[in-house]
Amino acid sequence: MPDIDKTIVITGVGVVSPYGIGLECLQAGMLAGKSCLARTKDVYPGFEGTTARVAGLPIGPEDSSSRYSRTDQLAMVATHDAIANSGCDSSAFRESGVVMANTVGGLTEIDTGIAKDPAAWYRRPGGLLRGASYPFAHVADAVGDRFGIGGPRCAVSVACASGAMAIALAANMLLDGDAPIILAGGSDPLCPFTLSGFNSLQALDPDPCSPFDQNRKGLNVGEGSAVLILETLAGATARNANVLAVLRGWAMNNDAFHTTAPEKQGAGLADCICLSMEMAEVSGDEIGYVNAHGTGTPLNDIAEAKAYETAFRGRRHPIPVSSTKSYFGHCLGAAGALEAAITIMATRSGSLLPTLRLTDPIESSGIDWLRGEVKRQPLPLAMSASSGFGGSNTVLIFASGLS
Amino acid sequence: MTRNLPPVAITGLGSVSPYGPLAGIIPPCPLEPSAITAWQTNGLRRAFVVQPFRPASVVPGLKTRRLDRLSAWALVASSLAIKDAGIDLSQVDRSRVAVVFATAYGCVDLTEAFYLSAAANGWNGTDPSTFPETLPSSPASHVSLVQGLRGPNVTVSNKDFAGETALIQAASLLRHGQADLVVVLAGDALAPTLYAWYEVAGLLSPACYNSNPFAESAGFIPGEGVAAVVMESSSRRDLQSGARSGTRVYAQINSGRWAASGQRAEIIRQMLGDSVPSLTICSGNGAPCATSPITALAREVSGDSAAIIASQAFAQGLAGTGALFHLILALSSRPIGGQALFLATAGDNGFAALLMQLP
Repeated sequence: MPDIDKTIVITGVGVVSPYGIGLECLQAGMLAGKSCLARTKDVYPGFEGTTARVAGLPIGPEDSSSRYSRTDQLAMVATHDAIANSGCDSSAFRESGVVMANTVGGLTEIDTGIAKDPAAWYRRPGGLLRGASYPFAHVADAVGDRFGIGGPRCAVSVACASGAMAIALAANMLLDGDAPIILAGGSDPLCPFTLSGFNSLQALDPDPCSPFDQNRKGLNVGEGSAVLILETLAGATARNANVLAVLRGWAMNNDAFHTTAPEKQGAGLADCICLSMEMAEVSGDEIGYVNAHGTGTPLNDIAEAKAYETAFRGRRHPIPVSSTKSYFGHCLGAAGALEAAITIMATRSGSLLPTLRLTDPIESSGIDWLRGEVKRQPLPLAMSASSGFGGSNTVLIFASGLS
Repeated sequence: MTRNLPPVAITGLGSVSPYGPLAGIIPPCPLEPSAITAWQTNGLRRAFVVQPFRPASVVPGLKTRRLDRLSAWALVASSLAIKDAGIDLSQVDRSRVAVVFATAYGCVDLTEAFYLSAAANGWNGTDPSTFPETLPSSPASHVSLVQGLRGPNVTVSNKDFAGETALIQAASLLRHGQADLVVVLAGDALAPTLYAWYEVAGLLSPACYNSNPFAESAGFIPGEGVAAVVMESSSRRDLQSGARSGTRVYAQINSGRWAASGQRAEIIRQMLGDSVPSLTICSGNGAPCATSPITALAREVSGDSAAIIASQAFAQGLAGTGALFHLILALSSRPIGGQALFLATAGDNGFAALLMQLP
């Protein structure tokens, strides 16, 4: 029997993605193989590329003392969805904690005029409130204030591993007894600043991306948010909560290799995978699916493939791997949380999602590159891997039930 | 950390601040704000600014040319803290060394530079070398990269308690066996956009405009800098045996709590359990200790007999990321040993509290 005080379970999942609001909506779209990636011209003047946008985002209440950036709004919508699906009203979360990741913060609220004459920019109507939404901690407060969540609040920003790391840190906090329940996830919007940055680095594929394909050209940026409700099994049992999944293992580390490039052999990610399996007390043979970071950039995907070969060496069968960024792009600080939600969905439905547009995969004898049709099979254990600029890696292992 | 968990020790201190780059404690001496010269201001504007220095003159061989000042300061402060802890990283398993960094505003210098390049050249003409350096996690990444630290690398924030959050998350990594050593950093840099926000919001002290302000004048004097502490499990063998030459334990963190609301006195008392702190270190973020409700809370939870060390104006100027400076400055005043409560408050109910043992 698991130690119920040390077993971390997921009792709610909230999602807003280019498919719309909710995990069911995401699941239906992905199982149907629908891609949300589309040519976009209006993110900023002169931009021509492929992105995935959330349409019709309900705008949260604002007053004269608050302004919510799109990052905040996405996070609030996902949190509302998570709470609604948990079967409790928000008063049940009064003592809970919030751990929210993002990379963009309030950059969506700021334009280039701020750098030329900041004082004049702030004196424009709403300028001070726009500026106040800039810190990346603002998202955690927006969520906490909106839903009356009074426990510890922590914002996380570790580039593209942010969303997954928020979940890992939340799990640590639950084991420390910092709060009885923690809402953890990530949120990031489309934003001229980040699109311009990736464009300047020539990291964008102008067409829909092809992760793990030999002819991959780069990534597409998407937007969205996912929020998981985490608690100990003891807490969930005491309040008779519906357990959706178990977070069996989590690990974080750093490549210490390069500012933007992953370590070429994927050694850091491989170590992180091994640490997570050690924590979960599972072998490589027991992992039924890996939801990969799989950005579609030449450097990431080859290093990541090598990481899987290393970490799963000795498996009886090749490890099934796919990148769901091929459906709605790379949601940056939200990616790890959205992919955690997708991995939970996969374990619950026994659905191994293929990578879209994967026609000529990177050669690897140790990897079963999922492509074509959705593969249906029982999936007791699955893994979600995330990496980011600056070398951060985070790996999460989810189980469909208690073992 | 409400549960009974093993303590962690702070064994090294380093900082880059208006006092300059320093290893160990900061010599106690009054600090005056100085005129801002890093950018053009509309008349005299003052703050607690870090005077320009060559990072390589403090840490030989350090290359910081394309980095944001915050990243450069993080590299210098972490090197000084590691040195102060007597740690030879070549003798340490660096896959077990973590970095936890707290910042409110991240790399504002290069974020501004990126906006300026977009204003000048359009969003399609921005500088590729600048973009990765604008990320809030960039300073922590550089510390891992330069020092070869392959453990968890975490960048956190919190509007009021970013530094305290970093200390608590670092302690958590140690307690869960996810690292053996953690370099904890917290800080921010001032830039025109940040200073202008304070100014337009009417938050600045008269001392920001006048070198002879009224004593006790209200308001806020912005500050900048990065502080670093080395934190390790108190049970580490070399720490216990004294095998590392010159190593001292500055403080031991026994437990910590932080929350945005709730019955804070009750929560802190619950955390204290049977402990009776003889000292409270107040980190009044952005507000003088004497005029904030923090003193009343300190009396309520620690009793009237506990001595109080008030926060200094410079550390208050760093707002949410000043915690490590509050701690270093408090240790610099050579407090009496025993149990100490490190306390910060914000608004009506928010708080962060750490229970420490001072040698």
